[in-house]
Amino acid sequence: MRVSLEWLSDYVDFEIDAQEIADLLTNSGTEVEKIETIGKGLEGFQVGLVLEVASHPRADRLSLCRVDIAGSIREVVCGAPNVKPGIKVPLAAPGSRLPNGTVIEEAVIRGISSHGMILSEKELGISEEASGIMVLDDAVEIGRDLASVLSMPDQVLVVEITPNRSDCLSMVGMAREVAALTGKQLKMPPSRVEEIAEPASGLVIIEILDPDLCSRYAARLIFSVKIGPSPWWIRRRLQAAGVRPISNVVDITNYVMLELGQPLHAFDYDLIEEGHIIVRRAKAGETLTTLDGVNRKLTEDSLLICDSKGAVALAGVMGGEESEVGERTSRILLESAHFDPPNIMRTARFQELPSEASYRFERGVDPNGCVRAADRAAELMRELAGGDVMAGAVDAHPRVIEPVEIDLRVARTGKLIGITLGSNEVADLLRSIELDMAGTKVEDGVEVVSVIVPTFRPDLEREIDLVEEVARLRGYQKISSTLPLTSKNIGGLSRGQKKMRSIGRTMAGEGLYEAITHAFISPRWLDILDPSRQYLPNDVFRVRNPISEEFSVMRPSLMPGLLETLRFNFNRRVTDLHLYEIGRVFLSDGDEKLPREPLRLGCIMSGEWFHKQWGGEREEADFYTIKGVLEELIGALNICDWDIRAKEFPFLHPAQSGLITIEGSEAGYIGTLHPRVAREAELPEKIAVMELDLESLIASSRDPRYREIPRFPAVQIDLAVVVAEDSSCARVEHVMREAGGPLLREVQLFDLYRGEQVGPGCKSLAFKLTFYALDRTLTDEEVMPLRDSIIETLRERFEARLR
Amino acid sequence: MSREPVPGELAEDPKLGELYRELQRDLEAAGSLPAIEDVRVAFLGRKGKITSLLQGIKDLVPEDRKRVGRLGNQLKGYAERALDEKAAAMGDLELEEALRREALDISLPGKCIQRGSRHLLSQIIEEIEDIFIGLGYQVVEGPEVELDYYNFEALNTPEWHPSKSLQDTFYIENPKGDYQDVLLRTQTSPVQVRVMETTPPPLYVISPGKAFRYDVPDATHSPMFHQVEGLVVDEGITLGDLKGTLEYFTKQMFGQERDIRFRPHFFPFTEPSAEVDVSCIICEGKGCRVCKGSGWLEILGCGMVDPNVYKYVGYDEESVSGFAFGMGVERIALLKYAVPDIRYFFDNDLRLLRQF
Repeated sequence: MRVSLEWLSDYVDFEIDAQEIADLLTNSGTEVEKIETIGKGLEGFQVGLVLEVASHPRADRLSLCRVDIAGSIREVVCGAPNVKPGIKVPLAAPGSRLPNGTVIEEAVIRGISSHGMILSEKELGISEEASGIMVLDDAVEIGRDLASVLSMPDQVLVVEITPNRSDCLSMVGMAREVAALTGKQLKMPPSRVEEIAEPASGLVIIEILDPDLCSRYAARLIFSVKIGPSPWWIRRRLQAAGVRPISNVVDITNYVMLELGQPLHAFDYDLIEEGHIIVRRAKAGETLTTLDGVNRKLTEDSLLICDSKGAVALAGVMGGEESEVGERTSRILLESAHFDPPNIMRTARFQELPSEASYRFERGVDPNGCVRAADRAAELMRELAGGDVMAGAVDAHPRVIEPVEIDLRVARTGKLIGITLGSNEVADLLRSIELDMAGTKVEDGVEVVSVIVPTFRPDLEREIDLVEEVARLRGYQKISSTLPLTSKNIGGLSRGQKKMRSIGRTMAGEGLYEAITHAFISPRWLDILDPSRQYLPNDVFRVRNPISEEFSVMRPSLMPGLLETLRFNFNRRVTDLHLYEIGRVFLSDGDEKLPREPLRLGCIMSGEWFHKQWGGEREEADFYTIKGVLEELIGALNICDWDIRAKEFPFLHPAQSGLITIEGSEAGYIGTLHPRVAREAELPEKIAVMELDLESLIASSRDPRYREIPRFPAVQIDLAVVVAEDSSCARVEHVMREAGGPLLREVQLFDLYRGEQVGPGCKSLAFKLTFYALDRTLTDEEVMPLRDSIIETLRERFEARLR
Repeated sequence: MSREPVPGELAEDPKLGELYRELQRDLEAAGSLPAIEDVRVAFLGRKGKITSLLQGIKDLVPEDRKRVGRLGNQLKGYAERALDEKAAAMGDLELEEALRREALDISLPGKCIQRGSRHLLSQIIEEIEDIFIGLGYQVVEGPEVELDYYNFEALNTPEWHPSKSLQDTFYIENPKGDYQDVLLRTQTSPVQVRVMETTPPPLYVISPGKAFRYDVPDATHSPMFHQVEGLVVDEGITLGDLKGTLEYFTKQMFGQERDIRFRPHFFPFTEPSAEVDVSCIICEGKGCRVCKGSGWLEILGCGMVDPNVYKYVGYDEESVSGFAFGMGVERIALLKYAVPDIRYFFDNDLRLLRQF
């Protein structure tokens, strides 16, 4: 909503400047986004009367004009097509400066001197109109200063109106707020209408077939109008409000809508069959061409204005092309009606046709303001378009909407806001916005003010709505700040939330960066990762109305987002990337409407890892790097029972992948990304990945317990054994632990060797074994037999030999 | 060791006095640890001069034995001290020289264990959580794919309500059935309803999480973003409590020196409602490009829980009251850390992730 202060001053005498009004409005809930100044720099131009127009001897399109500016006559060359004798125009004298900075100079144009310039609205900086010079109203005095004639400059408040405040979508509504905030009186525009004797009633029949959607339809007839341009004061106010002037009759309907908030529509009465208005729902297959030239298919719940032949307007949204007011129109049927807000909203939404009218109707228009607005517009058409107003409004009013009465408990109002209030203060505040007090009473020992809410405030329906009015009119600044007494409540995180935080910290501590990727992904990822849907689900949740295909599937895995991120960075030459993400994935949950949303931890590692510094060896992250991250995480969470078992996944390298199990249940995967996937996704070759179910991680996390620290020295033995290539290290270790018995406390692999010394098909695993007892120093006599037993068992189980 | 006069009694004996002076001379001339050791051997070694002197006492006439023995031991004690002192000083000097040869270029970069980091948005969410935990709140969560009922209806936003058009919604297709009321939550507020459905008052909770709106990505819009929702329901909660709570939060988050402004506003599920502005953290309220010249930055929406919401969850609106608030995490991050574009948060460019 754009509020011209020049216009606003018709309805309220404010004695403060634009910024002060803006602050008052903003602090009472009507946010002023900015203050614009229009019509700046018009000082120094004058009103001139064009006396004569002769054609330029050497240029067809130019004319020589003699312009009277109260006493002196100027000869001016003008190129506008609409210049003619007798019109009054804005004239710039040589030496004056246009708002855009151009200085007007004496000029010789094709051999003829021009002593000034006749200006267009665009040159004056007051509109975009540049097709001809500006023609001023006939009544203006020759020689007067243009700025005062145009009542410029003006300031316009650009205001955000919240959806509940339909009453503020009008100048009068805004004036009511300003009056309340400044303690002034609201001055309503005149409602008097001068009619001719002939009544309208015989000439219009109104039938409302669907009163649930149209509670009221008032019409007035204005005959003998002369269609032409509106006077300046209407045009400038429409322009300030952001509405383009068209012609006097149409402008007046827009003007009154902006003034009073009641959308109006002017039909050409001669194009309404039999003067018969029928308000009804559309029939199946019915169409209507609206004023914008679009032929629209109508749904059966759209409300139509029809004549006896067919539809003439889409009720409350836009008029029809056929009954449009044009240059030849002389008889006007003026509509001022009240329509059901949800219905108008649906229609405007369905037709994708938001209009000034529908915007107001869907938020709520005063049902009892129809006739007043019709009268105001009819009177303006009489004054400005020379029309004859037929006597009486034809007012079909099948459903009367009455003002509501609401009881407001004074003490409760104060208690909710946190202030002490008296009933007088409450009543005064509410009266300032024109609510009526039906009286005060005491009910069950509680003081109650009965408030009658006029129908221009449909948003005030309940006690709480009035509490809000009291709070905002009194001012939020005046409420003192307190804190609730929360002695009953103790803040904190749940165990799971604490674990979540510690998982994030561990991952970051491991050197990984957290990524947050979109919850919706491109379906292409699913085809790249798992074309036959062996692992990823087939039944994914899709976005019905995605922004694009890229964001159209709710992710069933974190991997696509992480790989996408890898590619994004890779394309920007950031090649060493170690990322994790914690987020929800979306999986079908049987017949439930909503998906399951388990939390996952995803992780990818690619490129140089850890030995970043000078002098060190370059090391690429690989399967073992990401496994190391997993082991540290498992360690940090103190999960005892977990395992990785070799398993193939469609998107993982078939010989470098495993299933992660925790306490025997599947909890995720780990591996190297399949080279096929990397190639198809245009990713680097070697990417280590894993994805884990966070809930099973958290559930299996145990609090650590103290283990006795040995006081007696440990015995350490290095043992290098040669085993077949396919023997798993974990198995070897397991067997060593079995054979070593309880005194073998630690088994740590420190070298893996393949080569000549061990022969083909074999590998050498070197372990450091640590033995100790808690109650004594172990002797060689105790340890050596254990060592021999380990070697012997390995020989039996793996045909292992010592190296 | 500076040359000192021979102490009194030693000077009386020409032989011992001379030995003293000789020791001093030799020690002074010794310029390294081995040279000092040579002096030690020459005087105190098995055949050293002082050792020989002391060994020779038994051959002296009885009247001299006592005196020479005393003075000889005095000289020996002196020699030991002087040699140790000189050796220690020389040792320090030599060590010092050796250390000089181990000089490092301390301007070379350090060898670090590479640190990762949590996403800036996660860090901000945690900061917000901790402020409210300090005020006695608990953290609750809810689903990202929601029912229309929780996202709109039970939040007093019926189908035809104009405010519904303010938030363009993504709708979700369930692969197992044709449901029209499944959507991506447009706000974290539905968690309010879910919590109230299952928990009786008093309630002090915040709920961080993702929310989604149909916005084509640009510098200030993202179809996915994060919000933190807060809800308090208890006996006697006032608008003043809401104001005090958010003032405390805002000052904790943005600094004690910030000014805070409460403006009445409209939200379907709160009444009275407010928007909270903080004085611009870029220009300190003078007016700049970021605050569009107003000096204020809008950071929060809030209000007293609308009684209609209580009806949906079965709370008694007469016996309890409460407030709710919601804030955009990205907006806080953009403002507090001067990140110029909301899309950067979800691009996850490592060069950005590293900065926080």
